[in-house]
Amino acid sequence: MARADWPPERLRRALRLYVLTDRGLSRGRSEVEIVQAALAGGATAIQLRWKAGPLAEAVRAGRALRELCREAGALFVVNDRVDLALALEADGVHLGVEDLPLVEARRLAGDRLVIGFSPSTLEEALAAERAGADYLGVGPVYGTATKADAGPAVGIEHVRQIAVAVSIPVVGIGGITAGNARPVIEAGAAGVAVISAVVAADDPRAAAAALRSAVDEALAGRV
Amino acid sequence: MNDRIPRLHLISDRRLCPLDRFPEVARLAVDAGVDAVHLREKDLPGGPLAVAGRALRRAIGDRALLFVNERADVALVVGADGVQLPETGLSPREVREIAGSRLLIGRSVHDIDGAERAATEGADFVIAGNVYETGSKPGQAGRGLEFVRRLAERCPIPVVAIGGITPERVPEVLRAGAWGVAVISGILRDAEPAEAARRYREALDEVIGGDD
Repeated sequence: MARADWPPERLRRALRLYVLTDRGLSRGRSEVEIVQAALAGGATAIQLRWKAGPLAEAVRAGRALRELCREAGALFVVNDRVDLALALEADGVHLGVEDLPLVEARRLAGDRLVIGFSPSTLEEALAAERAGADYLGVGPVYGTATKADAGPAVGIEHVRQIAVAVSIPVVGIGGITAGNARPVIEAGAAGVAVISAVVAADDPRAAAAALRSAVDEALAGRV
Repeated sequence: MNDRIPRLHLISDRRLCPLDRFPEVARLAVDAGVDAVHLREKDLPGGPLAVAGRALRRAIGDRALLFVNERADVALVVGADGVQLPETGLSPREVREIAGSRLLIGRSVHDIDGAERAATEGADFVIAGNVYETGSKPGQAGRGLEFVRRLAERCPIPVVAIGGITPERVPEVLRAGAWGVAVISGILRDAEPAEAARRYREALDEVIGGDD
């Protein structure tokens, strides 16, 4: 897999419904089970994300998710670690402000990985685009309990500001549900990223399907 | 072919020596004979880890090898010489595919199977322990010299011993077949880390002849 496999239009479409894994929220269900359901429901991108526990488990789960995403034609992204992303032959890596600097990650990964970045400010968003980010995750759009470190909600206006200012696609993240996804898309986002709305759902497949419909309808309405 | 594998490894622990002080301590320890410094701060994100790695590289220059624990990406970015992989996680083979020959690969192991697997998977050396009970892992009994002996016999790559090794114990550990020793509290807890490093170096040189 390589960045070249995800030219701008394909990447943009792959960002419509972006689901992040979270073992703490999955109510005992494995990453594989959740991701299978999410993909069946219409998820277009999956991010492997783990906050604690042995890396060996992340590696094992990552191998399985790699295959699932390949079969589904979905974008497979690894959180934080460029080495793990390369070893798993992921499509991409997602970096935050605490992670390896984007320029260095790009130098290391070359064109082997799509790189996503989570800016806190418009300035960081612009700098990330210059440094070679392929997409941005912007949020938290709404209040969220999932990411304790995510900070206060920045709102729809923030998404709009950044989406207008950069030419790479933006996904909104943070407290997004099928019920409130539309304004995020209308603000210019290419898609929405969710954790608990799918991972903690009684029926992750149905939850993903509802989100995907909401995003697709909003995208259709925007054109 | 073991020429590049260091004998005396100093491993960071910011609970014992904060990261703003560690580069200077490492520099003095290198002057005193440490030939590898490991940045091992498992709960630090990639950004701060890279900052710490660069500071270490500047402090020790190329007078000692620099290893980053677990993260091959950070190791490559900061110009480290190697990566030290924990027993579980990415395998030496997987890291070799990413890093090619740019990084030496050490693997931390706790038994003979792990050591043999590390060798098969292309690690350059193992760090094995803990040999004695240690303040870094309180309550965990040492595996003893017999552990070092059997590991060194069976494992085709150099075995660096870790865990409660004092300068006084260096000779018996080397005679049991260890290539070298790795130290955390033995140096970092000492009021004079450079002096402690020198005692380790002298003990090592007495056994290996000091021409290494």
